[in-house]
Amino acid sequence: MAHQAHSYHMVDPSPWPLFGATAALLTTSGLILWFHYNSSHLLALGMLTTTLVMLQWWRDIVREGTFQGHHTPTVQKGLRYGMILFITSEVFFFLGFFWAFFHSSLAPTPELGGQWPPAGIKPLNPLEVPLLNTAILLASGITVTWAHHSITEADRKQAIQALTLTILLGLYFTALQAMEYHEAPFSIADGVYGSTFFVATGFHGLHVIIGSSFLLICLLRLIKFHFTPSHHFGFEAAAWYWHFVDVVWLFLYMTIYWWGS
Amino acid sequence: QGLKPVVSTESSALIFGTTTKLASDLPATDSFLGKNKVPDLQKLFQRTDGLPVHLKRGLPDKLLYRTTMALTIGGTIYCLVALYMASQPRNQ
Repeated sequence: MAHQAHSYHMVDPSPWPLFGATAALLTTSGLILWFHYNSSHLLALGMLTTTLVMLQWWRDIVREGTFQGHHTPTVQKGLRYGMILFITSEVFFFLGFFWAFFHSSLAPTPELGGQWPPAGIKPLNPLEVPLLNTAILLASGITVTWAHHSITEADRKQAIQALTLTILLGLYFTALQAMEYHEAPFSIADGVYGSTFFVATGFHGLHVIIGSSFLLICLLRLIKFHFTPSHHFGFEAAAWYWHFVDVVWLFLYMTIYWWGS
Repeated sequence: QGLKPVVSTESSALIFGTTTKLASDLPATDSFLGKNKVPDLQKLFQRTDGLPVHLKRGLPDKLLYRTTMALTIGGTIYCLVALYMASQPRNQ
């Protein structure tokens, strides 16, 4: 039996990268067929295959780390770099939408009535549901930190409680935002105000859903004893992502909701 | 892989050490939320049967893999046909 003389992880051959790329092809082509030919079969197939690939790929990573012991400190360092770089790329993604917002709102055109908010737009009151949402996400940042401390202190019951509370707060935020979207007096088609508002907050909402899902997987793994007080990187990655989602909301709230009203 | 025997003992010790600690904290909660099956799963996934990690569990893995492959290949054919048709000029 050959022994490796290094602490890196040489992964088993895997079909998921190729299938994932193909799933992306199906999703993008599916979007084209949906937009231009009113057919959503390929799009549905693309989203289904993407989900299947994600489930199996990440399942395999859990197997490799928790069950096969491949996640040495060296490997974990690489995973940390990877997560940080990914979150950084997401920061730049949102930066673009903030740029678009300021481009339109700092120098409002005559078509908008030379004012921001534009003439005829009744913005949401930042001191109502948006403020509650801010409190919810800030609280969830505290509960996820509480969960982390509980994990490092081997307090299983409190860790489960704190992580569950974090997820519930995330779901509460999503529900409130969905209601706000439904009740808003303006839509995405209402000029540049509508576009910037719904695209920026919409992508944020999508990231809240992604973050909540990630935390939910961590809760299931926590219950199944996957994490140890000194090795729980999956949870840390989810917590980093959650803090990022929280910070994006704070910027959204201060700029679009508050200054922009 | 050669690293397995070394690392598995390490991580087993790590996990056993802390799991015992965790288990002894609140036995009531443990029985409420299931018992620790990680050591058994570690044995399962470290069997030297030559299977890659995505097929290590046997039949359920194989079925899911084949389903994903079928959907992916089928979807690709559908996609290529649809794009070919879409690229045909539309006659007046």
